[in-house]
Amino acid sequence: MDNSTQIVLAVVTLLGSAGIWKYAEARLRVKAELRKEEQSSNDTVLYRDDLKSRVEEMDKALKEAHKELLALTEKVAKLETENSFLRREIDILKRN
Amino acid sequence: MERLKIKAQEIKAELIARFKSLRNIWQYSDSQPTEITLAVALVFLYPTATYLELGYSPIMDVLGPMAGIYQLYCVSGKCLSCRVRASFITFSFYLLATVMYLYCGMLFKSPTYWGWVVLCFSSFGSLKRIKKEELHRKNG
Repeated sequence: MDNSTQIVLAVVTLLGSAGIWKYAEARLRVKAELRKEEQSSNDTVLYRDDLKSRVEEMDKALKEAHKELLALTEKVAKLETENSFLRREIDILKRN
Repeated sequence: MERLKIKAQEIKAELIARFKSLRNIWQYSDSQPTEITLAVALVFLYPTATYLELGYSPIMDVLGPMAGIYQLYCVSGKCLSCRVRASFITFSFYLLATVMYLYCGMLFKSPTYWGWVVLCFSSFGSLKRIKKEELHRKNG
């Protein structure tokens, strides 16, 4: 087989495969779009999305509550220390 | 007679279910092993077979193995768009081999040559699977 025939066949095949792929790709895209539309109107999917957003909100709230809890624990520790010092001072004052 | 009919319907239903299962596996299963096999065949088998049977062709004997190496590079890189591109190139090369064999009148000389059609079909299936995966990831 001579070089020119090879090149012509290669170009024709490349164009053919590109055409086949373009067609198949377009079909796949259309199918994917249809599936997406079906899913967006599906009750189960809507319920799942709602659950997802609720889980996210609850997770955020849990993290904030955890932060607040840490701050409160810190404050309680401070107050306990102050209280013990004050008690000691009261004891000293009572003795005097 | 009635029992035979019921049995036949059961067998038919079973066969249809099996066929659907095979179709689903072919459409959605993980395609990396197939891609690797196709790429390795493109690197080693493709130039050897075409050189021995069709004669020297720079497009098939030089560019083919390079396309195979590119496919292996993309599979190892785990990049979907790169894999789609590489699979398309691989499919084009297998299609080119099929067309060349057909042009030379060798495709129907022996059933062993139909392997090129099988490789062509397999590479196209692999290409479709990766594209589906890409679209699935995009759409969520």
